[in-house]
Amino acid sequence: MHEVELGDLSGCPDFAASQLKESVSSFSIDFDRMIYEGESEVVYSKEDVAVHCSQDTSKLITGSLLITRQSSSIFLFDKSCLMLSNQRHPLKCEQWQTFLDSEGRVMDSKALRKRIFYGGIENSLRNEVWKFLLGYYEYDSTYAEREFLKSIKKTEYQAIKSQWQSISEAQAKRFTSFRKRKGLIEKDVVRTDRSISFFEGDGNQNVTLLHDILLTYSFYNFDLGYCQGMNDFLSPILFVVRDESEAFWCFVALMERLGSNFNHDQNGVHAQLFALMKLVELLDRPLHNYFEQADCLNYFFCFRWILIQFKREFKFEQIMHIWEVLWTHYPSEHFHLYLCAAILKSNRKKIMGEQMDFDCLLKFINELSGKIDVDTIIRDAEALCMSAGEHGAACIPPGTPPSLPLDFFAQGYPQKDEDDCL
Amino acid sequence: MAYRADEDYDYLFKVVLIGDSGVGKSNLLSRFTRNEFSLESKSTIGVEFATRSIHVDDKVVKAQIWDTAGQERYRAITSAYYRGAVGALLVYDVTRHVTFENVERWLKELRDHTDMNIVIMLVGNKADLRHLRAVTTEDAKAFAERENTFFMETSALEAMNVENAFTEVLTQIYRVVSRKALDICDDPAALPKGQTINVGSKDDVSAVKKVGCCSA
Repeated sequence: MHEVELGDLSGCPDFAASQLKESVSSFSIDFDRMIYEGESEVVYSKEDVAVHCSQDTSKLITGSLLITRQSSSIFLFDKSCLMLSNQRHPLKCEQWQTFLDSEGRVMDSKALRKRIFYGGIENSLRNEVWKFLLGYYEYDSTYAEREFLKSIKKTEYQAIKSQWQSISEAQAKRFTSFRKRKGLIEKDVVRTDRSISFFEGDGNQNVTLLHDILLTYSFYNFDLGYCQGMNDFLSPILFVVRDESEAFWCFVALMERLGSNFNHDQNGVHAQLFALMKLVELLDRPLHNYFEQADCLNYFFCFRWILIQFKREFKFEQIMHIWEVLWTHYPSEHFHLYLCAAILKSNRKKIMGEQMDFDCLLKFINELSGKIDVDTIIRDAEALCMSAGEHGAACIPPGTPPSLPLDFFAQGYPQKDEDDCL
Repeated sequence: MAYRADEDYDYLFKVVLIGDSGVGKSNLLSRFTRNEFSLESKSTIGVEFATRSIHVDDKVVKAQIWDTAGQERYRAITSAYYRGAVGALLVYDVTRHVTFENVERWLKELRDHTDMNIVIMLVGNKADLRHLRAVTTEDAKAFAERENTFFMETSALEAMNVENAFTEVLTQIYRVVSRKALDICDDPAALPKGQTINVGSKDDVSAVKKVGCCSA
C-alpha cells in the first residue's frame, strides 16, 4: 500500500490533469489519504472526502473520490458530483407536470432527461414519458398534437397490419418467406417473458399482441424483417404502453436507433463492440492488455449485452429502469458502453486472476446474468463516463448505434441475401 | 471455484448443438447437464455452453456442449464457435417437417466449418408429441444413413434418449480419439493426422489430461 497525495500526478495524462485543475479551481478538496490496494486497481477512498464548493460555501457535499490508477497514468474525478444518494427517487406525476407548459410541451428536455437519468420514472408514468424518450413524441409537441398523432398513427398501423392479415392460407402456401417469418415469431412470442404475470398463462392476449406487432413490423420494414431479440425489446414496451398501435410506433422508434443490431452482417453490434474495445483501452489499460494477450479483443463475449441492451442480464423491473436511463442519452448517447466497461472493470480481478480464456470468459459473462447490482453499476458507469469525458466520446465512431444512422434519411436496411431474410 | 478445474478428467470434448430455432436445443442441453426442462425457456441469444462429465471405459470424458442461436441471421456469429468442435448434435423437431428439410443446410454448414472427423448425430427431438409427428423415423434414419451420421429420436421433455444421444456421441468421439492415439503409436509418420482431432482450446493437439478453467 502506498499513500498518495493529490499533488502526486506524475504521469497523469493531459486531459486528466486539466480536468483536475478545473476541479481544484472551483473546489477545495480536503482528504487525509488515499489508499491503493496493490497495483492497477480501482480504489475508492476508505473514508468519505469532504468537498467544499467555493462558490457556495454553505453547501457541503460529501462524497468520495475515485482514483483509477492505470500503470503510469492516474485519472481523478469527483464522485460526489455524481449520484449523491443510494436511494432512487423516480419521477412522479406531480413533478412531471412541472416540466410541461400549459399546452403540454416539455420546456427543458435536457433537465427532464437529467432528472430521469438520476432517478428513473415511476411505473405509472412510464407510459407517457417513454414515448418522449423513445422519440415517438417530439418534446415540443402539444397535448393536442399528440392526440392527433395517436389517431393518424393508429390508422397507419391498421393499414400495415391488414396487409398480412389479408394473406390467405392458400397464398401463404406459396409465400415461403412469410411462413418462415410468421413461424419464427410464433415460436418466440410464447417464450418471451412468460414468467411476468402480464404474459402469463395459456391464450394470453398480450402474447397475441406481441405476435401481431412483430409481424406488422416485419411488413413495416420488409428488409429487416423479424429477428430474434426484437421480441425482447418489444415486451417491456408493450408492458408499459399497453395500446397496440402506440406500442408498435414506440418499437419502430427504438428500431430506428437499434435496427442495425439485427442487420445480416451484424454491423451495428460490431461497431459497438469495437467502440467498447476502445473505451476499455482508455479506461482500463491492464484489462485491455489482458484481453489482447488472451486474444479476446473482439469482445464477442459481450454480444448479448449489446444486441438486446442487457435485457437478459436483469430482472424485468430492473431492465425498465436501465432502459429509461439509457434512453435519456444523458450523459452520453452511448452510456450502455460505459455500463459494459463498468461491469467488466468490476470483474477485472476475477477475470485476470483466473486467467480466463475466451471460452471461460464467455461462460463467466453469461452467468453474470441476474447477479449485477443495478444502481451500483449505473453509478460506476457514470463515474467512468465523467472521467473519460471527450476522450471517451472520441472512442466511439460517429453513427455507432444507438446514434441515428448516418444515412438515416435514406431509411435503408439493405440485406445481403434476400432469400435469407426472415 | 466454479471456473477452476477442481476435478480431473482424461478428455475434454467440445460438442455443438445446432438446428433450426425452436427445435429444443437448449432444453436438450439443460436436460443433459442439469436434468432440467422448461417449456418457456427463452430463445438463445448468441451462444452459451455447459459441461458435464461421463465415464467411458475407465476414462472420465468431460463434454463442453455449446448451444447456439438457431436463426439463420446469426449464423455468421454462431459458426465461429464451431471451431474445435469434435462432435455435433444436429437437431430437428419431429413435428415440424421444415426443420427436417433444413438439416441438409445445417450439415453443409457444419462440414464447411469443422474437422472432417467430427462425429455427427442427427437428433429428432419432441418425440413425445406422437399425435403431431410430421417426420417419420424411417425417413430420418434413411437420411442419416445416406449422410453417414448417427441418428436418434429424443424427448427433452420426457428425458427420453437424451442421455443416450449425448453418451453415444461422446463415446464415438472417444473411439476416434483413442484410435488416433493408436495410429500414432503404430506409425510415427501419421503424427500430423493425429492433430486433426482438435479438442478444447485452439492450440491443443488432443485433450488428454487437459486442465482448462471452464471445466467445472
